[in-house]
Amino acid sequence: MTTVTIAAPFWAMLETLPDPVMLVSASSPEDLAGRKFAFANPAARELLRLPGAEGRLLTAVRHPTVLEAVDEALFQRREGTAIWEQGGPRDRCWRVTVRPLGEVGPGPERMALMAFSDQTDARRNERMRADFLANASHELRTPLASLSGFIETLRGHARDDEAARDRFLTVMQAQADRMARLIDDLLSLSRIELNEHIPPLDRVDLALTAAEVVESLSPLAKDRDVALELVAHGRSVIIGDRDQMVQLVQNLVANALKYAPTGSAVRIEVRAGLDLAAAAASGMVENEPRARHALVTPDAGPGQSFVALVVSDYGPGLAREHLPRLSERFYRAPGQKSGVNSGTGLGLAIVKHLVNRHQGGLAVESELDRGATFVAYLPEALTLSRSR
Amino acid sequence: MSDTPAMDYNEQLAQLGAEIARLGGLVEAQIASAVDSMTRRDVAQASAVVAMDDRIDDLQAQIEQMTLSLIALRQPAAIDLRRAMAAMKISMQLERCGDLAKNIAKRGLVLAKGEAVTPFNRSIDRMGRLVVDRLKTVLDAYANQDIERAIQVWSRDEEVDEHYNAIFRELLTYMMGDPRTITPCTHLLFVAKNLERIGDHATNIAEIVHYEFTGEALVGARPKFDTLQQD
Repeated sequence: MTTVTIAAPFWAMLETLPDPVMLVSASSPEDLAGRKFAFANPAARELLRLPGAEGRLLTAVRHPTVLEAVDEALFQRREGTAIWEQGGPRDRCWRVTVRPLGEVGPGPERMALMAFSDQTDARRNERMRADFLANASHELRTPLASLSGFIETLRGHARDDEAARDRFLTVMQAQADRMARLIDDLLSLSRIELNEHIPPLDRVDLALTAAEVVESLSPLAKDRDVALELVAHGRSVIIGDRDQMVQLVQNLVANALKYAPTGSAVRIEVRAGLDLAAAAASGMVENEPRARHALVTPDAGPGQSFVALVVSDYGPGLAREHLPRLSERFYRAPGQKSGVNSGTGLGLAIVKHLVNRHQGGLAVESELDRGATFVAYLPEALTLSRSR
Repeated sequence: MSDTPAMDYNEQLAQLGAEIARLGGLVEAQIASAVDSMTRRDVAQASAVVAMDDRIDDLQAQIEQMTLSLIALRQPAAIDLRRAMAAMKISMQLERCGDLAKNIAKRGLVLAKGEAVTPFNRSIDRMGRLVVDRLKTVLDAYANQDIERAIQVWSRDEEVDEHYNAIFRELLTYMMGDPRTITPCTHLLFVAKNLERIGDHATNIAEIVHYEFTGEALVGARPKFDTLQQD
């Protein structure tokens, strides 16, 4: 095997490359153990768990299509590519490209460059999209099936039963409403996604918005015998989209209302002038800490101040393991059944996208039987205009 | 190449190791592809898995031949003999895994003809990944002569069994709820069983690897979950 000599700066460059890169060599297509790697950079050594920078190729790679790609490059002098799924706990997906390297010398030895590029995100997005479609249609199908069931009954034996008809129509109305809610949420989600990378321009007072939302939700709160307490401290203007901020506050408060036990209260607090650390930590129960998870963390410049919206309920709360998945679409923590009056499973996903568009943050703090607190914090308007 | 008498013994063993790695890589890919084709109902991919099984059988036969001629011509002793024997035994385990993968693909072909039973895709997929990972880890251990990792695979068998038991229960409940699903669910049950068997083969390979490099058999109680002994 030829020893590879590489000048120091180029060596350092290869060693530093973030993507895994290997140099493979072989002399004969028949000699399986003769396929070697003459160089593997640290990224490749880490990925393939190699003990050294050179060795036999088959101790490093076994996947048949990858080996085919290597053979193609080595012996047919043609670029070969293969998709390789790593598997295991870090389930990453790589595109492996193997290109013939250098001139064919007088000897039988051939060389090729093997480069790995990470395709995990692309693959994951693809899968997420498929999952989303399946989930959305499933969520729509449940109320639809119930609707058609009732229609069938009304046409059949319940045709002349007036009491049953009334009862059925009430249920049907509820199912139709549920479908409408779901479609509304799906539409607003796609609208928000469309504009997610266009920064908002308007100025919105979050305390005023919260007051409006509290007023609009108070009939619902009265029905459920839950008090809405709004606490606002001072001026709290942010750069934001008015309608979207109403939607954000509404989703968080409605969510809290849903889980608040009768006779309890939902507390909504607006705090201004916080720095990033204080905003991210606002709403924290200090003496007996609960599990806390950041769902969205903004990259804010230094000196950026935030307005935080803290919504707390004293409901059943959530176990730690469910917190990271709360903003996933259609995710429901166990125990939350998808009944007629339940949510669409999209409320927090919408909040997450809204917060993202506004370059804000979102965190949740909860524990079983100790209620839940959601904190959305958004860049304050004053400092934003000063920095421009 | 492998039967050139001039080739040195270590080189011949290296060839044998490389052949095992190639066979192992193929089997890993077959299992992953079989499970994937089943959950995605990809008939072409499933047929490709079935067709590829002959290649596995050929490779296994070739390894057996190589081992036999190595033992006959060199008459190795101690570690050298253990290494030759290990290669042959591992190749047989791998060949069985290949058969099980082929069986999964065949059941996938049958399942694709009927209504999709989607609720199990995720759990089967997860179990398939787990089993492929175990096989991968133990083959890595073999390639790098890493006994620690082989022991790791050997002692962590219960995870696969837990998956199998969970799928078993889920399938039973599902079948009781809707007897029309009995045919597809039975196929899924066998798919899960096949995956569990592949997990067992990975454990066997771990034992072979351990014996190959230490000369001692792995002994002691392994954590074990048995469906037959529960309720």
